[in-house]
Amino acid sequence: MIKPMKIIFYSLAILLFIGPVFLLVLQSFTEVWQFSAGQSLTFQLDSYSTLVSDPNIMEATFWSLVIGACVLVINLVIGLLSGKALSSSSFKGKSLLEALFLAPILIPVLAIAMGLHLFMIRIGLADTWTGVVLIHLVPTLPYSIKIFHNAYHQFGNHLLEQAEILGATGFRQLHTIELPLLKPAIRSVTFLTIVISLSQYAITAIIGGGRIITLPLVFFPFLQTANTSLMAAFSVWFALLPFFMYLVVELLLLLLPYTRKPWRNLR
Amino acid sequence: MKSYSSKLWIHLTPALLFLILPFFGIITAVRHSIFADEGFTLNFYQELFQSDRFFSSLAFSIRTSIIATALAIMIGLILVRLFHPYLAKLSPRISVWLPMLFPHFVWGYLVILLLAESGLFAQVLSAIGWIDGTNHFPILTRDPYGFGIIITYVWKEVPFVILMLLPVYAAIPTTSYDVVKTLGGNRWDQFKTVEWPHIQPTLIETCLIIFSFTLTAYEVPALIGTTYPEMVSVLSYQWFYGGSWDERPLAFVVMVCVSIVIFMIALTSYLYLNRRRMRAMRGRL
Repeated sequence: MIKPMKIIFYSLAILLFIGPVFLLVLQSFTEVWQFSAGQSLTFQLDSYSTLVSDPNIMEATFWSLVIGACVLVINLVIGLLSGKALSSSSFKGKSLLEALFLAPILIPVLAIAMGLHLFMIRIGLADTWTGVVLIHLVPTLPYSIKIFHNAYHQFGNHLLEQAEILGATGFRQLHTIELPLLKPAIRSVTFLTIVISLSQYAITAIIGGGRIITLPLVFFPFLQTANTSLMAAFSVWFALLPFFMYLVVELLLLLLPYTRKPWRNLR
Repeated sequence: MKSYSSKLWIHLTPALLFLILPFFGIITAVRHSIFADEGFTLNFYQELFQSDRFFSSLAFSIRTSIIATALAIMIGLILVRLFHPYLAKLSPRISVWLPMLFPHFVWGYLVILLLAESGLFAQVLSAIGWIDGTNHFPILTRDPYGFGIIITYVWKEVPFVILMLLPVYAAIPTTSYDVVKTLGGNRWDQFKTVEWPHIQPTLIETCLIIFSFTLTAYEVPALIGTTYPEMVSVLSYQWFYGGSWDERPLAFVVMVCVSIVIFMIALTSYLYLNRRRMRAMRGRL
């Protein structure tokens, strides 16, 4: 028997979330829709070949990936360290510190970027990709710290204490206990960080000074000139980058112990 | 574990160093708003408070953000309540989180693609004859009422609300529901006495995050908003990058005012939650 609630759920999910994305992908593979003129769908791949052959977009993709990867690595390192510290000990003012780590989400990042702009010029980080990486940490790191804190909290201190008593070094604990257990957290942080980093137009423009061109900086001017199919392809392109990054991270996670290696099952 | 406590501050140092970035940034923004070449001044605030453009923009922004936040929270909450048993499985969860793969402004573009006057819905409706021509379709993007902005944000934030609330709902023990049922409570009693105390802190936190984001983010209103009335972020960005150097301090003042609004709301909710927690600890809930 199929439950009616299940049907309602899937109809809603298709209507609200899957359907729109499907239409976006469909538009990227078809000519501009003119149903009112009585035309039907015509499939094409021109929008993607235009996209891939545009040197601006390819360069912006490269820089978005470089910046996204750096932001991700810093997020993972700092998130892991502080998540561990926050969950493994209790001290006075801990709840205040947790609130402080979360606070940057609530402060307008536009105000922060404007405020840091002159300072970045003075220390020579304005108009550089390093400066852009730094400013992208502001909207991402609070989430990562929270995610890692929750993850460490969930598997508790006992496992790490056991390893400590048995004489494992910090690195060995990290490699054989923490990282394998943190896999879901690492995956979430990867997706969130890359998507947030790809979402920043204003602060990238301010700190990058128009010299560091990432994908959003190409997307906005494109809107005035490009046709609907090309814009749809460009939109899909945005969603492909997190997948690419996820794939890279997933491959690196295969190096961890206790992972079922896919090639082992191949005959 | 003594080694933990000695390592604690070493582990926390990078995160504490990171905090310098946002806090130094906002403090510098405040400084730029109250210091001119000749020293301390409140002229920029005076100038801004005489500007109708600012007040209409602030009112429009707050109204738009409140509507977007309230709708996103309500829809997200209803969806989680109804479907959290299904959402425990991976593939339904991924289908709901699909919009989170896209940046906000890309989702804004999707809204334009579907709901603009020449968009898919208008074309389909006019092709099947529900409306006479696409120009009879209601203007939902780049409109003066902020419909486009609200639609984009609600659509994009509902998955976020689900993401935040799902673990909370999964942690509510089912036996609590049975207690309410045994005592003769209805579904509303279940929500009020079992779910509400569990979800309230997360719900308020989610509310704050979405409200402050929608109030101050630049990308979506720049893409799908109109020139008048404009969101404060767009106004501030224009003044920051505008032709005239004189307008730059005003950009800072706008951002500082908005930050104060957010800070007051955050502080109120923090104190409210804390008071509740204190009362709960004393057993007087």
